[in-house]
Amino acid sequence: MSLNTGQTLTVSGQDLTRNGSSSGSSSGRAPWEDARMVLKPSTPSRKPKPPKPENAITIAVSSRVLFNMEKEQQIYEQQGMEDYIKYQVEHETEPFSPGPAFSFVKALEAVNTRLRELYPESEELFDVVLMTNNHAYVGLRLINTINHHQLFIERFCMTGGNSPIGYLKAYHTNLYLSADPLKVREALEEGIAAATMFTPEKMKEVSDTQLRVAFDGDAVLFSDESERIFKAHGLDKFFEHEKAHENKPLDHGPLKGFLEALGKLQKKFYGKGQRMDCPIRTYLVTARSAASSGTRALKTLRSWGLEIDEALFLAGAPKGPMLEKIRPHIFFDDQMFHVEGAAEMGTVACHVPYGIAQRVTKKGIMDKEISSGPK
Amino acid sequence: MKTAGSEEGVKTGDKKDADRAVVVAVTSRAVFECGADDDEVYKVGAAFPLLQALQRVNERLLEENPAEALLFDVVLITTDRQQQQQSSSIISSTRHHGLEVSRFCFSSEEDFIESLLKNNVQLFLSTDGGEALQASQKGVLSALLDRQTASCPSEQLRVLFCGDAVIQPDTGPTPASRQAAQSFSAQLGEMRRKFSVFDSPLSIVMVTSRGGRESCCAALLALRSRGVSVDEAYCLAGAPRGPILSLLRPHFLLRDGFSSLDE
Repeated sequence: MSLNTGQTLTVSGQDLTRNGSSSGSSSGRAPWEDARMVLKPSTPSRKPKPPKPENAITIAVSSRVLFNMEKEQQIYEQQGMEDYIKYQVEHETEPFSPGPAFSFVKALEAVNTRLRELYPESEELFDVVLMTNNHAYVGLRLINTINHHQLFIERFCMTGGNSPIGYLKAYHTNLYLSADPLKVREALEEGIAAATMFTPEKMKEVSDTQLRVAFDGDAVLFSDESERIFKAHGLDKFFEHEKAHENKPLDHGPLKGFLEALGKLQKKFYGKGQRMDCPIRTYLVTARSAASSGTRALKTLRSWGLEIDEALFLAGAPKGPMLEKIRPHIFFDDQMFHVEGAAEMGTVACHVPYGIAQRVTKKGIMDKEISSGPK
Repeated sequence: MKTAGSEEGVKTGDKKDADRAVVVAVTSRAVFECGADDDEVYKVGAAFPLLQALQRVNERLLEENPAEALLFDVVLITTDRQQQQQSSSIISSTRHHGLEVSRFCFSSEEDFIESLLKNNVQLFLSTDGGEALQASQKGVLSALLDRQTASCPSEQLRVLFCGDAVIQPDTGPTPASRQAAQSFSAQLGEMRRKFSVFDSPLSIVMVTSRGGRESCCAALLALRSRGVSVDEAYCLAGAPRGPILSLLRPHFLLRDGFSSLDE
């Protein structure tokens, strides 16, 4: 099916059904808007055109985080490439089941739907690109799976073993998610926001109408400068230092740009009077304490012109239970200890292998050095 | 070794099994930077890494099976009078640079197409768009080489299929050239199957520029039905081609009919 370039539909046939049945999003609309939606042409086979990469917020996901390919991964590790490919081709018509990034991608699409309603001509949308090392032999199974789950993914790179880094840049990638920590590190080194995604044993249910993204502060949104103090001198010194330097903004970390991109989209909803009903919500979940070191974090964000919807200062307490309450689609942290803690309680957590935490084991407090992660 | 007139070929090296060999003709201007008239040996040109890559494929095919008949048969062809008169320099340059050319065709503007047809050329490669177009119109599968080709790796032959053209063939080219494209790609597919997934001297790459995943899916299936298994697939859905193509570094691009890398 070729993409129809002549028309721009504001709502595709697929979305009409979804909007009709979803409960959360209809409250903010005026009655005439609902009527207008019913009257729009419904052509279920017509898909909206993907935005130009330079206009969009591009999220690149690998096949193993988008879908559950555990069984196939095992075959690859135990029996080698030829058997792996043979198995994939034999099961070509069997769709994979969802992986940890799946609900995140669905939430991105829900935001896009809302954005298209409000700004039909705009290309400021999320664009999800499948970026996989797989050979194109596996391609058909991946495409069949995307079709089966009705995901809106029209762009992909199946590099057949070659590095994805160049392609990430060519697509102006704003965020890269992969199960492979080596690729994630490479991407970070090239200045691309990236994180290694892990699969929790049991994934907690998340919203399908509101995208929720949670960030750790130090070495994720902010640089690791303060983290270094923490590692060298402990928690109390860290709090003291932060209070003393409250008014000096921290340097930015690898995921600052992504928060910025989310903020830009949020403002588009605020601009149309949808602050209360905004389908994007951001959270800061930090070991900093509200009483002392937290202020510096908030002031830094303000100096960058960025807002965060909820800031949770845990003063060193475990993050898992808090995240379990928030139910984010994705949580970024630079320390495996927190990533694992979050995953244990059902949150999809990603490791950002950046900064001092990757090299130094914390003295006296349980922490783990970077491991290669589950395959 | 005979020096022949304008239309007959000159054989050097082993004779390839006529039925199975994949005859690829490359113009001398693509292979050499032709210098002054009295130059004995020319510098290498844009198509040099491509020829090395073709040679590498042959070497590996023979490693797998010393009796292999499905090999590339490289013909060096001149397409204008000036080059035609440089025949001895061309031959000595070929030797000097260690290129394996099985035949030379010293043709001119008027008869090079005839030479292509007589020699059963299955793929014609030139840096001249006009020549490639002419050949394509006469039913010879052609591809345009450019400066980019010069920087492509010689360790692996990288062939790019245009996915959009696979499922929506151009209205331009003749049925003969479409047929030529299909049989060439089938042979390429067969060659590819002789190697494993890793460490292949030949990589088949497919790019779907305009279409999305439906087009890509259809193109993969269409190629598979021709016996071509794609190694790398890129679906652009309207994203700019340039940055992706420069990363892919293909030696040439195949569409049904006339092909150009810089469309």
